[in-house]
Amino acid sequence: MLPEFQSVRAKTKAEALSAVSTLEHVKIIAGGTDLMVRMRRGELCTHIVDISGLSEIRGIETNGPMIVVGAGATHRDVSMSRIINENVPSLSRACGQVGSPQIRNMGTIGGNLVNASPAADSLAPLLIHDASLILESEGGTREERLEDFIVRPYETSIRDDEMLSFIHIKPLKGYREGYKRVTKRATWSISRLSVAWAIKEEGGCYMDVKIAVGSCTPMPFRAKEVEQFLVGRNIEEGVIREAGKMIVDEIRRITGERPSFVYKLPVLKGILHEVLRG
Amino acid sequence: MKNIKFTLNGKTVKLEVRDNETLLHTLRERLDVKSVKEGCSIGECGVCTVLIDNEPHCSCLTLASKVDGHDVKTVEFLGSEEALHPLQEAFIRAGAVQCGYCTPGMLLSAYSLLLRTKDPTDDEIREAISGNLCRCTGYIQIIEAVKDVAGISECKG
Repeated sequence: MLPEFQSVRAKTKAEALSAVSTLEHVKIIAGGTDLMVRMRRGELCTHIVDISGLSEIRGIETNGPMIVVGAGATHRDVSMSRIINENVPSLSRACGQVGSPQIRNMGTIGGNLVNASPAADSLAPLLIHDASLILESEGGTREERLEDFIVRPYETSIRDDEMLSFIHIKPLKGYREGYKRVTKRATWSISRLSVAWAIKEEGGCYMDVKIAVGSCTPMPFRAKEVEQFLVGRNIEEGVIREAGKMIVDEIRRITGERPSFVYKLPVLKGILHEVLRG
Repeated sequence: MKNIKFTLNGKTVKLEVRDNETLLHTLRERLDVKSVKEGCSIGECGVCTVLIDNEPHCSCLTLASKVDGHDVKTVEFLGSEEALHPLQEAFIRAGAVQCGYCTPGMLLSAYSLLLRTKDPTDDEIREAISGNLCRCTGYIQIIEAVKDVAGISECKG
C-alpha cells in the first residue's frame, strides 16, 4: 500500500509550477518507476504533482546547434527518436537499455536525472555531451550543467519549487560514439558498470576523447585525466594500456577500494581497450 | 478522490479513485479483473502488465488517476474462455503456459509487439517479452507461440 497523499494532475507547465511552489511536502511524479517504489517503502510526502500529461515538456527537437529534449520524454521516446539516434547515439543506446519495455514506456529521462542514481543509464552519455538542464520555477528559469546538478548520489541541486523541464545537448560531429553497459542479466537489470564514449581520430592519432563511466563512483564521472592524456597521442597498444591504468587509478582515488572492483575494474579496462582501439 | 473515465477492454469505465490508488488495485479489487496480478510490486516481474494505449505498463507503479482519458487493456480483451484469441491458442499449442501466473502479462506484451510489428524476428520477440519473467517455461515455447501467430490479421488495437 502507498502512504496517503493528495495528488494534482497538472495540465500545463504553469499549473505544475504553481502547484510545486504553493503545496507543502510536494513531490513531482512523471513515470513513477522510482518514486512509486520509494513511496511504497515508506517515503512520505503530502502532495504529488503528476506531470505525465504535460505534452509541453515531452518533445525532442533541434534548436540551432542544440538538441532540446523534454524532461517528460520517456526512455522509449528518446531511444526511438530519429534526432537522438542521429545526433546523440550514445544516449539512444543507453535509453534503449533501461529496465524493461514496461519501464521504458513509463520512466522519463528527466526522472532518471532527478533521481540521480549512480547507475542511471542516461547520465554517462549526457556527461560526454556536456548537457545542461533547464530548471523552472514560478520565480524564473535557470540553466545548470549536468556535472554540477548532481551533488551526491540520489541528491541534486533542484529546489522544492522547481521542475526540470528541458535538457540541452550539444551533438558531437565527426566523433564515433557509443554506450556499453555490464549487467547481471541482459534486461531488467541495473547497470553494474557503464561507459559512454565519443572519440575523434585523424591519421592514427586521437584528436579528442570524451569518456564517462557510470556505476563505479558515487556519481557517473568524466575521466578527464585520461581524456587529456590521450589527446594528440598515437592510437597504439602502449597508450591504450596506460589509459586503462589511469582510469582505474582515478576511480580508486575517488571511491576507495570496493569489493566489486576485483571484477569491475578489469572489465572496465577491457571495455576501454576495445573502445580506444576502435 | 478523483473522478476518472477510461476505456477498459473496449468499454467506458467511470469511477472515483483515491489519490494514492494504484491501477493494479483499481483493476483487481474494484473492477474484479483478476488476471492482472501483484508480483514484486516494484516493476521488475511484469505480472501486473496492462496495455495503456496499446503499450505495456506496470499497473503496480501506475496511479489509477493517470489513466483518465486513456485506453487500458487486460488479457480479457484478447479473448474469452469460449473464444480464445489465436495468440492464446498458440500459447496452449506450444506448451507456453505452465503455472500460468505470468501468462496474462506475457500475452499482453506479445500482443502489443504484434500490433506494431507484423512479422517480428526472434530478437524482437525476446526484447518485447523481456519485461515479463517466467520461471516455468524457459521462454522457448513462448517465443515459438508468438512466431506461430505472427502475421495473422486478428492483432488489431
